[in-house]
Amino acid sequence: MTTAVQEPSRTARISIDRRWNTPIGVAIALVVAYLLLVIAAGPQAQDQFINALTIGGVYALIALGYTMVYGIIELINFSHGEIFMVGSFVCWWLLTTLGFSGAITDPLVLIPVLVLTFVVSMAVMGVVGVVIERLAYRPLRNAPRLAPLITAIGVSFILQNLVFVGISNSIVTIPQIIPNPELHIGPINIRLINLFVIVLAVSLMFALQMFISRTKLGRAMRSTAIDREAAQIMGVNVNSTIALTFFIGSALAGAAGVVQGLYFGVTVFNIGFQNGLKAFTAAVLGGIGNITGAAIGGFVIGFIEVLASAFGYGRWSEAAVFATLVLVLVFRPTGILGQQLADRA
Amino acid sequence: MKFARVGAALGAAAIFAAACSSTPSGSGGGGGGGTAIKVGIELPMTGGEAPNGVPTANGVALALSQITVPGFTITVNQQDDAVNGKHDANQGAKNMTTLANDSQVMFVVGPYNSSVAQAEIPVSNAAGLMQCSPANTGVVLTKGDAAKALRKTNPDKIAYVRVATTDDNQGAGTADIAYNTVGAKTAYVLDDTQTYGKGLADGFTDAFTKFGGKVLKRDGVPDSTTDFTSYVTTAKGLTPDIVMYGGVTTSGLGLFRKQMAQAGLANIPFVGGDGVNDGSAATASSFLNIAGPDGDANTYSTVAAIHDIPNPDKFGADYKAKFNSDPGSYSAPAYACTQVFLQALKDVGSGVTDLAQLREKIRAYVADPTKKYDTVLGNFGFDENGDTTQHTISYYQYDSASKDWKFSKQRDFTADPVK
Repeated sequence: MTTAVQEPSRTARISIDRRWNTPIGVAIALVVAYLLLVIAAGPQAQDQFINALTIGGVYALIALGYTMVYGIIELINFSHGEIFMVGSFVCWWLLTTLGFSGAITDPLVLIPVLVLTFVVSMAVMGVVGVVIERLAYRPLRNAPRLAPLITAIGVSFILQNLVFVGISNSIVTIPQIIPNPELHIGPINIRLINLFVIVLAVSLMFALQMFISRTKLGRAMRSTAIDREAAQIMGVNVNSTIALTFFIGSALAGAAGVVQGLYFGVTVFNIGFQNGLKAFTAAVLGGIGNITGAAIGGFVIGFIEVLASAFGYGRWSEAAVFATLVLVLVFRPTGILGQQLADRA
Repeated sequence: MKFARVGAALGAAAIFAAACSSTPSGSGGGGGGGTAIKVGIELPMTGGEAPNGVPTANGVALALSQITVPGFTITVNQQDDAVNGKHDANQGAKNMTTLANDSQVMFVVGPYNSSVAQAEIPVSNAAGLMQCSPANTGVVLTKGDAAKALRKTNPDKIAYVRVATTDDNQGAGTADIAYNTVGAKTAYVLDDTQTYGKGLADGFTDAFTKFGGKVLKRDGVPDSTTDFTSYVTTAKGLTPDIVMYGGVTTSGLGLFRKQMAQAGLANIPFVGGDGVNDGSAATASSFLNIAGPDGDANTYSTVAAIHDIPNPDKFGADYKAKFNSDPGSYSAPAYACTQVFLQALKDVGSGVTDLAQLREKIRAYVADPTKKYDTVLGNFGFDENGDTTQHTISYYQYDSASKDWKFSKQRDFTADPVK
């Protein structure tokens, strides 16, 4: 009797389609972040907002790889941060081999070079990701979970040391080929490189979302994530689907590596550790296994760092990031959006 | 079965990690005549630290090749405290233990970084092995309760001296540059949250305020940061007359300056301490190299040692003849540390064959505040805390013609203190 009365009223109260929950939540979060920045930075709020979006985009691109791999084989791929690092070295190698040293002002040269750099770096890192999966993780797929986890840490050491010994044991400078004028779009002042990074990160995330939700291969990935055996019975080639997941995740980290090179103009063999850790935190924060969650987590971390610095508590920025993680996990153990791909038993 | 597989993976990872973190340690054999003894060198030698450690270690090698003490054959036990290309306090403490356990080591030159010294002083103090740092400037290493806590095993036996002066003086030097050379009245002050960087920024803040300047904002940046854009934006909003950053290049100071230039703020002058005075723009991984030509403009730095040494031409020429490069900022101080040791050895060493006894005699000699040393840096002694009596800071400015730091002047803070 009581339930019968309550049931319709509860449904009626949810007036907005659930699809819109995330976009509305993101919009509200962005407004709140902006208001906090206004309090912290005053007239510089807009600049700080752009800083946060840019670095958040980099974290988000790396976080996607963590979350995709976890979603499909429940492995926390600790070598993923190193994929990002090697990607930045591919960018360095390509641009210095092509003989560039500074900004390219001719768009007819700049655009093809940019496309080439991203394609090469993403392809190389994608292949590296697939090779690592084939050699290091596939043999351990049915082993206890700790074994592939430790293997992943080992792979991370191997990649770091290969670069340390083989390429450079200190900071290398990457030519910043994108010119750096400040653009004035209406009331917004933004540097070209920031605009480029934000647009690129969001487009790649959107493309990934489309790929996973709309294509046959994306469906194969989702079904493998939900139940590997059942997917196999239904004719999904599980091995190649997992390889594809590694390819895409690593390619995105490769893209983040190029962004690192173009935005900051430097890289170093151990840059993957710190950024990988932040991106992993982003993935957990958003709900590991959840693609949209990883993207949101990346931006959240970007905003926390920038807010800490804007308020004058930069020395606490890392503490703030991890305190937020702890708080979110206390109240929502599965992250902001919850685990989606891997919610099987 | 399950555990066996996990164990195997763990074991493999552990072996791998151990193989990766092993550090090179060279030690020479005893020579022809006299008692064979060693000087330990404990510096960061690899990766981003190479511009710091290598020229400093060369200073020791040069001194040993030029000065001999009859009755002794002296070789080197070289240790590297850089892990993955960056100085590491734990590695420093391990190296110091290795050196203390080598009974032939009579004296240690090093370390380079104050945070490393903090980990090493308890070890050298317990072992009674005298170490002389050519470059440490952190105040807490020798003065106050913090310093007493570091040498709590043998509170009365000083086993750590330094020929570089402390960061209260160096901080005052950077403030002197900011206020008097640049003419800055307002400053944005950052540090890399490490022992050295924070101490230096504190020294700057103190002196800059005394001069009459105003610190607009003070913050710290975790030393693993690569994205400094939010701090650069803060600088843009504050419009300070100068930005002061206490820290070292491996903490990202070059990157910070590069990102300042990228945001169009290279016209705001930048001043740092000896942590950024690490070679010309052509030196890989140096501050000037990373900051880039735009960022290098309007930058200033200091060195916590005397620049106008009594015989600069001879030292420079001897160094160049042996190593085919110019000396680094702390080559001469390292040479001076070695001279301190050799003088002690000459005065107390003759006839002593028991190595443990000799080690203690040298420690006691160097710890004695009445002793004076005539060195490549000039004449100085160590006070009761082990700090040099020479309180001179050298000032440098970026020179666009040579793309290198150019010495502008030096100030003796004993004769000319900040009032």
